[in-house]
Amino acid sequence: MIAVEGLAKRFGAVEAVRGVSFTAPDGKVTGLLGPNGAGKTTTLRMVSTLLAPSAGAVRVDGIDAAGDPLAVRARIGALSDARGLYARLTARENIAYFGELRGIARRSVDESIARLASLLELEPLLDRRTEGFSQGERMKVAIARALVHDPPNVILDEPTNGLDVMTTRSLREAVRRLRQDGKCVLFSSHVMQEVAALCDEIVIVSQGEVAARGTPEAIRAAAGCEDLEEAFVRLTGHGAGEG
Amino acid sequence: MRRTLAVFAKEIRDALRDRRTALMVLVASVVTGPLTLVLVAQFVSGLEERASTLRVRLAGATHAPALVNFLKRADVEIEQAPADYAARVKAGTLDAVIVVPPDFHERWLAHEETRVELVFDDSRTESSPAIRQSERLLDAFNRETAQLRLMARGVSPSVNEVVKVERVNAATPRQRGAVLLFLIPMFAILAPLLGGMTLAIDATAGERERGSLEPLLANPVPTAAFAVGKWLAAWTSAVAVTAVTLAGFVAAAALYAEKKLPALLQFGLPEYARFVAIAVPLAAFTSAAQMLISTYGRTYREAQTYVSYLATVVSFVPLAVMFSGAREAPWQAAVPVLGQLMALQRVLRGDSLPAWDVLVPAAVSAALAIAAVAAVARLLRDERIVFGRS
Repeated sequence: MIAVEGLAKRFGAVEAVRGVSFTAPDGKVTGLLGPNGAGKTTTLRMVSTLLAPSAGAVRVDGIDAAGDPLAVRARIGALSDARGLYARLTARENIAYFGELRGIARRSVDESIARLASLLELEPLLDRRTEGFSQGERMKVAIARALVHDPPNVILDEPTNGLDVMTTRSLREAVRRLRQDGKCVLFSSHVMQEVAALCDEIVIVSQGEVAARGTPEAIRAAAGCEDLEEAFVRLTGHGAGEG
Repeated sequence: MRRTLAVFAKEIRDALRDRRTALMVLVASVVTGPLTLVLVAQFVSGLEERASTLRVRLAGATHAPALVNFLKRADVEIEQAPADYAARVKAGTLDAVIVVPPDFHERWLAHEETRVELVFDDSRTESSPAIRQSERLLDAFNRETAQLRLMARGVSPSVNEVVKVERVNAATPRQRGAVLLFLIPMFAILAPLLGGMTLAIDATAGERERGSLEPLLANPVPTAAFAVGKWLAAWTSAVAVTAVTLAGFVAAAALYAEKKLPALLQFGLPEYARFVAIAVPLAAFTSAAQMLISTYGRTYREAQTYVSYLATVVSFVPLAVMFSGAREAPWQAAVPVLGQLMALQRVLRGDSLPAWDVLVPAAVSAALAIAAVAAVARLLRDERIVFGRS
C-alpha cells in the first residue's frame, strides 16, 4: 500500500507538486491521471525515493520513505520515466542484473524471469541483445526488470506511451493479473481511455494539485457529467489546452 | 560487496561486448610499443649513418698497434678501410680515413716523429662529424702518448697541458636513449587514460544518456556500491590496456636486442614489472578522475570532451618536465603523474628505486581515487545530477 500525504516538490522557483495526497490500496489499480506537466512523474519519483520531497511524506507498506529509502525501494518495483536498457546485454541479462542488485539468489532470478516472460509474452526475446528491439519490446523488458523481485507495490509511469494496440492490450492484461495477485498498482497516464479501462481508483492531478479523486463513477458524479473525458476536462479546468 | 561485484561484472561484460571499441583499444595498445621502438631505432641508426658514433676507418691498422690499442680502450669501433679508399672518399661513400704508414710502429717505439694521414673531402658537410671525430681521437692519442713519456722522465704531465680541456661527447648512445627515457614513461602514463576512458564514460554519462541511470538508482543499493563497482571496472580496463601496451615494448625491445638498441634501452621483464607496479595505482586515480568528470556530462559526447581535457593536462606533465629540465626533488613524489614519471625514469636509467619512490605516489593516487569515488557516490544522490539540469 502506498500512502502519500501533502507531498510537495519545488525546483528553484517552480512548484512542480503542491500538496498531493492519496492512497493506493493493495489489490487495486490506482490511476494518476493528468495532462502533461501536471506533476505525475515528479510525484512518482518521490514515491520511489529518487527525489526528496520539499514537504509531505510517503509511506509504503507503513515504511516512511524519507526514513528508510532502501527498505521502501525493496518493496517497490518501478517503471520510471527513463527506462533505458543496456543495448549490448540480452533481455535476460538486463533483467538478471537488477535481480542481482536486489540481492536475489541466481535460481530465484531464473524462476522470476520465466514467470515474467510468460506474463509479458517475452519468451522469444529473452536471449537476444536488446539493441534493435521495438519500443514495445523494450517496454516489456523494462517492466520485467522492474518486477524481477516480485514487489508488493508496482509503479508504472506512462507504461503505454508510444505502444501499438496489441502491445497495449497485452500490457493491460498483465496489469490485471498483478491486481489479481493482490498487488498495489500505481499507474500514471495522460490518456483517459487507458485509465478508464483499468483503474479502480482515479486521482486527477492538475498543476501539481489533486483536482479530484475516487472511483470512476464518483468522479463522473462530482463533475456532473456522464462522460469521463468531459469530466476530466472540467475538473482540470484546462479546456483544450493540453500538450 | 556482492552488489559491488555485480556492478563490476556487468560493466566488464558490457564493455567486452563493445567489440569495435575493445578491439580498437587493444590493437592500438599492442602496436604502440613496437611501432615506437621501430621509429626510435630508425632515428638512432639515422644518426649513426652520420658517423656520430665513435667509429673510425683505418688503413694499415697492423702498422700501429699502439693506436689501435688506444682506440679500443676508448670503445671506438675500428673499421678496415678498403684499398681504394682515396677514390671512395672522393666519390663521397667514405667520410674520413686514417692512413698509417708501414714504418709507424718502429718510429713510434723509437720516439721519433711519426705521422699518419687523415684523408677526407671537406667539401661535403655531412662528412664533417666523421672528420672531426677522427681528428679528436688522434689528438687524444697524441696527448696520452706525450703524457706517458713525460711521466717516464719524471715530469708532471700538467706541464704539458696548462689548461686541461675535457671533452664531453653529447652524442653518446646513453644520451640518445633520452628519447626513450621520455617516450616509454609517457606511454605508461597515457595508457591508463586510454584504457579507462570508454568504460568510465559509459558507466556514468552513458548510463544517463541511455536512460538507464534512473532505473538503476531505484534499486535498494547504496550509491557507493555503484560508484565502487563501476570504478573497479574502469580501473581493470585501464590496467589491462597498460599491461598490454608495456608488454609491446618488452617484446619490441627483445626483438632489437641483437642490434644497437640494448645499449640505449634496458626494458626487460624486471623493468616491466616495476613499470606495472607504478602504473597500477596511477590507473586507479586516473579512472576515478575520469568517472568523476564524466558524471557531470549530460551525454557521452559531452563527457568525452571533458575527459579529453584531463588527458591534455596529464600529457602536459611529461612535456613540462622535459622542457623545463626540472631536477628531481622529493616533493615531486607527492604530485600525481609527476611522481610516477620520475620513478619510471629512474627505472629506465637503471638507477636505484627506493620503495619510497613507488609507495608515496601510490598512496597519493589511492587517496585521490578514494576521494573521487566518494564524490561520484555523492553525485549519484544529487537530484540535479541524476535528472539533469535541463
